[in-house]
Amino acid sequence: MMLGHRTKQRTARKARPESPGKRAQNKERTKRDILRAALGLFSKNGFFRTTTKQISNKAKIAEGTLFNYFKTKEDLALYFFEQELARLTEWYEEQRDLRDAGLPEKLFAIIHRHLERISPYEEFIGAVYLRALQPVSRLSLLSLESQELNLRYLRFIQQILRETEEKGEIPKIGDFGAYAFGLFHLAIISYWLQDSSLGKENTLALLDRSLKFANSFLNKGWEW
Amino acid sequence: MVSKERPQTRIGRSLRIGRLGLSLTGSYLGYQFQNLFLKESERPGKRTAFQKSAAQRIRKELESLKGPVMKLGQILSMQSHMLPEEALSELANLQMRAPAMHPTLARAQFKASVGKFPEEVFREFTPEPFAAASLGQVHRAVTKAGEKVAVKIQYPAIRTAIEHDFKLLRSVSLPGRLTGYTGLTGPATEAMTAELERGMLQETDYVNEGRNIDAFRERLKFLNYVCVPSVHWDLSTDRVLCMSFVPGEPLPDFLARNKPSQELRNRIGIRLLELFNLQLHRMHQIHADPHPGNYLIDSDGRIGLVDFGCVKKFSQDFIELMRAFEERAWLRGDEHVRRMAHLIWGLAASSKPQLARKLMDQAIAFYEMLFPGASGRTAIVDFGSDKVLKTMFRIWDDTCVQTKTVNPGFAFYSRAEMGLYNLLHLLRARINTSAVLEKFYEQIDDHRKLVC
Repeated sequence: MMLGHRTKQRTARKARPESPGKRAQNKERTKRDILRAALGLFSKNGFFRTTTKQISNKAKIAEGTLFNYFKTKEDLALYFFEQELARLTEWYEEQRDLRDAGLPEKLFAIIHRHLERISPYEEFIGAVYLRALQPVSRLSLLSLESQELNLRYLRFIQQILRETEEKGEIPKIGDFGAYAFGLFHLAIISYWLQDSSLGKENTLALLDRSLKFANSFLNKGWEW
Repeated sequence: MVSKERPQTRIGRSLRIGRLGLSLTGSYLGYQFQNLFLKESERPGKRTAFQKSAAQRIRKELESLKGPVMKLGQILSMQSHMLPEEALSELANLQMRAPAMHPTLARAQFKASVGKFPEEVFREFTPEPFAAASLGQVHRAVTKAGEKVAVKIQYPAIRTAIEHDFKLLRSVSLPGRLTGYTGLTGPATEAMTAELERGMLQETDYVNEGRNIDAFRERLKFLNYVCVPSVHWDLSTDRVLCMSFVPGEPLPDFLARNKPSQELRNRIGIRLLELFNLQLHRMHQIHADPHPGNYLIDSDGRIGLVDFGCVKKFSQDFIELMRAFEERAWLRGDEHVRRMAHLIWGLAASSKPQLARKLMDQAIAFYEMLFPGASGRTAIVDFGSDKVLKTMFRIWDDTCVQTKTVNPGFAFYSRAEMGLYNLLHLLRARINTSAVLEKFYEQIDDHRKLVC
């Protein structure tokens, strides 16, 4: 009787249809759980040495389920960057103090915040950079997935630059500014990865001076 | 056009320094060209205008370069005979006008050094600095225990920048180019540059500065008119220095706002003179960054001392020398003169006896002017007149031209001493210097036996 009752309850639960919104939320939660488990393993064992089996074990899901969400570790990395970009834009919108700041400070804050966020996963980021150098990789700037993500990032930067243009702080630079800053952002991450100074202060100095120089250059051209 | 921004690389800085030279030359050539068409009577005014404009240009360029070049500007402003008066007043402003780190950078640098953001370790932290320093900037904060503190944060990677800049300074002989003064070349410049580099690199170590503060606080605690901050070691690192807040206003602000009476000006002047000699003769070290902004004065004339990054320690020989000067040891004969010349300029007594005598005569005249009590003239020295400063500039000039060598320790001492007279000049103090010194020596009888 008791067993039958339990079976009945389980059947009743299964029978309740899951709303599409709820399903998407659950799916997203599982993806984040997998990412969290993977990042922990990447920090411990390194990106290349971590297997999908280890990730699925740590995330407490079947390996097959893992493949339903991420076909490769590169997909996981792309998801990581997508999440980071979303967090970064949300964070930026919340920073009231930055609204009246000059452009160099705003852009400094964005890169610095990003570096702060990714600093626990330095080895993983380094590995991703190496992988991204391969043209066939989905992490390569040439891949459509990367470009989609990149486009989202460029629009975010473009918006900040447009606001600055409208205030008359810098001359009109069009979309070139966002592209240039995107490349600069990548270059700073490369520098940061190999920066062995205490607290990575050399990166702070390079970032600050470069942005101030660029801002000055934009305003004064070769007359800096 | 002068940029407010700092060039990012060594190459950028080279270009900037080159440009500074070029633009000054350009302006100067323009001035010379114009001069051809000017009447004789108009020339002096035009020259003054040019010097003022060049001085402002130098100050702005040095500000944007920061680091050693700016420091060099400060030192030149303190003791250089080499620049016209217009340039001196501009250069004296360098430290107070240094461009600031924006709040996000200051916060990031704090985290890079302390390991936590300011808001995590303080109850309150003001993102905007209230004072600038050549190597960093100072913020107000309140500790979790409720104490008001001053937090000095260093520009990131300034030590590396300084090391690079000194290589650059040596390669372009900047001191000579900035001033157009060609006398300062060779070993004299190298010795001074090396001393400057050593001092500046030491200034980048805030742990060292904290130790200096502790030492000065301990040794000066018996003086009820001096306030030295205390260090919060738990919130300090080699690049962040957290100190108790010292009340008072920088001397120039104090003078401008409070319009103090002559009596109060004299009292502060006497205290500064006493404090300087006390450091030299009792501690054998001096607070060697005599920028007026480093002296905070309150309404009762108490003196708050800040910025202990540059502290110069002296050998017993050197202390002996300075005491000998102040006690008029030259009256004891040529042997003393030769010994003093050797200590100051490193002149071989046998090789240049006449030069030694000549320079010593100048120095003697200077100290006779500074401490006139014993010679029967009026005992009051009026520092409101610029006679003391000008005489010191002239002596320094002659020394550099004629000896081409100087004891680097003396260069630092000279800078601090010139700073003291500059403060007394700002105060327009009228002081019986001999009486102050006499009283002071009575208090340190132990040191008398050290006089040669």
